[in-house]
Amino acid sequence: MLSFIGRSIIQKIITLFFVSIVSFLIIHLAPGKPSQVDPLNPKFTPEMVERFRKEFHLDKPLHVQYLLFYRDLFTGKTASWKDNQPVLRKIWERFLNSLPLFIVGTILTWTLSFPVGIRSAIFRGGFYDRSATFFSYLLISIPGFFFAYILIIFVVNSFHVPVIGMETFGIGDPSWFRWFMDRVWHLLLPSVLGATGGIAVLSRYVRSQMLEVESQDYVRTAMAKGLPPEQVHYKHALRNALLPFVTMFGLILPGLIGGSVIIESIFSWPGMGRMAYEAILARDYPIILTVNFVSAVLVLAGTFISDVLYMVVDPRIRL
Amino acid sequence: MNPEPTLEGPLAPRKTRLQESWHLLKQNGLSVLGLIIFILFFITAVIGLILTSGPDPVFDPSLVRLQEKLRPPLSKPNLETLQPDELPALGVYLFGTDDLGRDTFSRMLQGSWVSLTVGFVAVGISVLIGILMGGIAGYFGQNHIYFDHILMVVLLFAAGALIVVGAPSQGLGLLALGLGYIVYSLWTKRISEKKVLPIWLHVLHKKAFSVDTLIMRIVDIMLCFPSFFLILTVVALLPASIYNIMIIIGLTSWMGATRFVRAEFLSLREQDFVTAARALGVSDFRIIFRHMMPNAIAPVLVSATIGIATAILTEAGLSFLGFGVPPPHATWGNILSDGKRFIFDAPWLTFIPGFAILIVVLSFNLFGEGLRDILNPKLRERY
Amino acid sequence: MTIRKVLIFTPIAVILFLLQSYFWVPTYEQQSRGNPDRLNEYITASIGDASILNPILSADSASSQINSLVFEGLIDRDEELRFRGRLATSWEVFEEAFFYINESASIPGAGTARAEEVVDFLRKAKKNNKVSDPRLKACLDNIREIGLIPPREFLVIKREKDLKNSKKEIEVKVHGRPPARVKLTLTAVDQDLFKNLTQLLGETYFTSFGGERYVSTDPPVSKEKLAAYAREFVPATEHNPILIFHLRDNVLFHDGHVFDASDVKFTFEAIMNPRNLSPRVADYEPVKAVEVIDPLTVKITYKRLYSPAIGTWGMGILPEHLLNQEALKREALRLGKDPEKFSMRQSGFNRHPIGSGPFVFQEWKSDQYIVLDHFNRYWEGPPNYKSYIYRIIPDPLTQEMEFYAGTIDNYGVQPHQVQRLKNDPTYQSFSGPSFGYTYIGYNMRREPFNDYRVRTALGMAIDVNKIIQYVLYGQAEQITGPFVKQTDYYNHGIKPLPYDPERALELLAEAGWTPNKEGWLEKDGKPFQFTLITNSGNDLRKAILTIAQDSWKQIGIDVRTDLLEWAVFIQERVDKADFDALILGWSMGIEPDLYQIWHSSQTNPYQLNFVSFKNKEADELIIKIRQEYDHDMQVEYCHRLHEIIAREQPYTFLYVSKWTAILDKRIVIKEIDDKGKVIYKKIEPTKTGNYTFYFNKWIKLPEVPTFALEG
Repeated sequence: MLSFIGRSIIQKIITLFFVSIVSFLIIHLAPGKPSQVDPLNPKFTPEMVERFRKEFHLDKPLHVQYLLFYRDLFTGKTASWKDNQPVLRKIWERFLNSLPLFIVGTILTWTLSFPVGIRSAIFRGGFYDRSATFFSYLLISIPGFFFAYILIIFVVNSFHVPVIGMETFGIGDPSWFRWFMDRVWHLLLPSVLGATGGIAVLSRYVRSQMLEVESQDYVRTAMAKGLPPEQVHYKHALRNALLPFVTMFGLILPGLIGGSVIIESIFSWPGMGRMAYEAILARDYPIILTVNFVSAVLVLAGTFISDVLYMVVDPRIRL
Repeated sequence: MNPEPTLEGPLAPRKTRLQESWHLLKQNGLSVLGLIIFILFFITAVIGLILTSGPDPVFDPSLVRLQEKLRPPLSKPNLETLQPDELPALGVYLFGTDDLGRDTFSRMLQGSWVSLTVGFVAVGISVLIGILMGGIAGYFGQNHIYFDHILMVVLLFAAGALIVVGAPSQGLGLLALGLGYIVYSLWTKRISEKKVLPIWLHVLHKKAFSVDTLIMRIVDIMLCFPSFFLILTVVALLPASIYNIMIIIGLTSWMGATRFVRAEFLSLREQDFVTAARALGVSDFRIIFRHMMPNAIAPVLVSATIGIATAILTEAGLSFLGFGVPPPHATWGNILSDGKRFIFDAPWLTFIPGFAILIVVLSFNLFGEGLRDILNPKLRERY
Repeated sequence: MTIRKVLIFTPIAVILFLLQSYFWVPTYEQQSRGNPDRLNEYITASIGDASILNPILSADSASSQINSLVFEGLIDRDEELRFRGRLATSWEVFEEAFFYINESASIPGAGTARAEEVVDFLRKAKKNNKVSDPRLKACLDNIREIGLIPPREFLVIKREKDLKNSKKEIEVKVHGRPPARVKLTLTAVDQDLFKNLTQLLGETYFTSFGGERYVSTDPPVSKEKLAAYAREFVPATEHNPILIFHLRDNVLFHDGHVFDASDVKFTFEAIMNPRNLSPRVADYEPVKAVEVIDPLTVKITYKRLYSPAIGTWGMGILPEHLLNQEALKREALRLGKDPEKFSMRQSGFNRHPIGSGPFVFQEWKSDQYIVLDHFNRYWEGPPNYKSYIYRIIPDPLTQEMEFYAGTIDNYGVQPHQVQRLKNDPTYQSFSGPSFGYTYIGYNMRREPFNDYRVRTALGMAIDVNKIIQYVLYGQAEQITGPFVKQTDYYNHGIKPLPYDPERALELLAEAGWTPNKEGWLEKDGKPFQFTLITNSGNDLRKAILTIAQDSWKQIGIDVRTDLLEWAVFIQERVDKADFDALILGWSMGIEPDLYQIWHSSQTNPYQLNFVSFKNKEADELIIKIRQEYDHDMQVEYCHRLHEIIAREQPYTFLYVSKWTAILDKRIVIKEIDDKGKVIYKKIEPTKTGNYTFYFNKWIKLPEVPTFALEG
């Protein structure tokens, strides 16, 4: 067990090392250079551009830049090129902003998907199953921003309440309760939007897993024995269908960064995705690289957790 | 595929696999609907390509009629201000016009082909890489990579890098060293089976890791990047072009296919028909492509169908952020994201492409779902 | 079954909890209309966040906008675009000019003269009323004082590239012992001073001075290098324009500290400090010295004639006491950082600025908002609005919706929205020409764009009015040259190119391009084919791209188009001059300095004259304009330059777009007259099209007032 964990950690660290190289290369080998200095501004002389390059170590060979960057990253000294703020602090702030969205979205996804998927599996081919299939695919298929606009226009026009941002702007000094509720309200649309895709995908997955399990003999036996169907489905079947979800659960961590760029832009939500996106626009390399690195760490941490969970849950793997 | 013998009554006439599939598909109304829309979309795209390209297209998607901007759908063109050759082909603006007075219907037609190409090429790339990597990992996975191979690759890469960076003399030196080693190792292999090496060089012939490990680690590395963010980074840094977008979407989505193919190959390898083929002395190449691939392709097809849908959505998302396929190519994604500025003035510019994407992506997904059911033998016996 | 219940009821509970919060959220109605405090806030929306709130470091527009409210410069521009004193009450411009005594030259009527003799000679000439040439007369009358600087010696150490090893630097000792020098103090800056003085001192008095004779180096350098040192250290003639600012008394920074001349000097030094990497260095490079004469007087000496320099003093002034060496050191120690490496760029000041402007910085939440409060002790009296809030809303559509709901007062409104909102009784709309123009530039290094007829023809084939009318909804004006249209530098006598495809074809035929059988233009069997490029992400340019391609197709030119990502576009194509034609825009300063964009010396890679416009007459005028301090003369030169550029058509000048703004009608100007009576006035843009000029007097009222006194 311990040796497994040890090996796994070493493996993850090696992977991380390669990820750091690859992401560094992608960014530095792409054409186009950081535009902190606007080359078309008549006031920038070539000497100035050169001085900026020096300041950001861009004049050094690639491997030196690589070492300098990761040295700064591990000593917590990396600063954004755009505003000289420490990158880690920026990311931490944004992380806290993204967190509520992520938590609510995850709770919704990981609870709602199961009953929907299981019911679909039980009544396979029935009306419920078909409509659930249809709606899940509808939700997967709709372009996120299109859906978001439709929702925003609908809510604003029919309820006349603000939905943009993390809280109502200029709410003044309300009681903490009102303040809290206001924040909760602003969570509603973006987190539901973020969760829809997840619910659709996961419920399909639950359905197919349940189908596999439901055709097993022990389920038939349990049914034949006259146990209440609910107990059969939710206890006997579900438990055995759960195994693959352990892997998926590990993979939700990186969701914190990835798919939220569009939603966060539309809802003016100052989260991780939007910061990363703006860093890409401004070619703020330290932020792009750090976000990439952090997300790789999250992915690897996620897979590590799921590996360990797997081992705990599935006795066959315990070596 | 259904070995259960039925004792009562005469045996049903044996159906071909295709007939059986069709029969199964018909059970699932939604998938049939998906397939129909899929085919319709395909036909539209091809017709769209024919009608909107060439020097004098029937529907000219790039014809600018500024005086006719933002006309609602089904409105008649203003005959007085237009030249005869500027009139829309159908006599009305079926889907209205956009902010430059271009006919949205023509643009949607053109866009259907471009969107389809983006989807197909991107998925094509990812499936090809996936099959290749997965096939190698699954079939040759147990072969080992020796330290000298690694050393050689590192040498050659370093040589290449040095030459690119601008130190050609050292680069060529390394290149010569690497090539020399290859020749040497081939020679030793050919001439003398016995390895006569000084003891300290023995380490070069130690097994480092298996091919399978190598490929699966590459997959792990690729999976570490949040895919949309990675695509965004690369697209933002590279010059915008339709090819770049297709390639990048393809290059960032092959990991799933690799895993599927590898898993299938691992199980197929052990099956009797493969062993039999190998015993007959059939070449690896033939075993892979003639015997194993047809059996392994099913899950790849399913994921490819859904992959096309995802690629179209990804392109739309990129367009929304301003990194989509650049003009003059119209895609549904960029018609939609250009149109959203006018959502209060010209809602059709948002809703027509929005719903078109929705319907097509939905049809791909539903069809993919149906396909999965058909190809899954476990579920098949239920009928 | 518990699992099932948990799985079903948790999401339902979560969703219900989320939904119930609706009842606690203030509606838009409560926020904007029913909230009296809202009237004292001005909220504006922006797509991007500010990056650095320090006027000498910021380069983006969002930061500049905030900086312009928090900081204040010595001067700014008034309604007529003339300079107006802010932190300075008044200023004077004069000149000190120098020339070395040319010991070998012979002065007409006086022979070779020593230093004292030259001075006497000039003094006499000045007293002599019978000077025949009026220009020389004016020139001599302009001289206030004639002085003599005795000979001196100097030793300067220069770092130069080693000739043998280009990576190494060597030190060169430059030693000089120039002769005596005459100092002329002028009442007004005069770029023709020395030209006129040659009438007295002889044609070659200045040109034959030969500074190399007085310079020696160790180690020895090439002849050209020596001449360059001589030009640098012993120039035959030198103009030193001088700018003296008299500062306003009793101006306070937001922390209560009194502003004085040392803050001005400090700001200048901070910009020039290489560690700060200020993007504004180029503006201040011509400054020789900034001296504090007394706490309320500051003297700025320039190295050479450079008339646009005055405008640079609109730069926000930094508080020295918060950012000087000691303050930074203290901050570095407090943060536990290395004081040696800690520069102004790292200072917390940039996120919490303190200036002397009308608004006091309060709070900045990244990517959410920036809040400013009005400054009660602002020297001109506090602005009417109590606070100014800068919200960051990245999506244009949600901006628009927030605007309708009344939670923002202003946003980057698009032309097509203006069209729709103009007639809405709740809103007032403004528009006016901006300071930037859009053009199609041709690479004149390449065939066939080196022929002005081809360029003119290409321009004639494009219907600019159509672009303005349909793409920009009329929110633009046609333009004929590179000057700001609302200034008098712009020559309004020049007519724009007509839209005339026939005439264009004639011109092209003159240049040898004739239609072939299929209707495509050809010359010597080669079709007229080129690629028009622009950057992606700009819808207007994209539209122009399409229209230009279409218009040129009409006259038989096969144009391909390409959209490139900004950085690639600039670095790979524009900087390396690798293009046929491109669509781009310049945003201009008010100063008519065209040196970088139009002078023939600026055509190398990475320079801004990437179309390679070369015209001798234009070059001369460009130099004259940037050296001329007299407004009327400048205007005259500009008009001539404008004519040349319009004739040559290096660009097809398309339009200067108008900025547009939509405001609630309830926002008005509130003034208090002498008797203490409150007067409300409608917001009117100034002549030059600046509607926010009186921003400090704006206020929002509960109801639209009736402007009884109007008229």
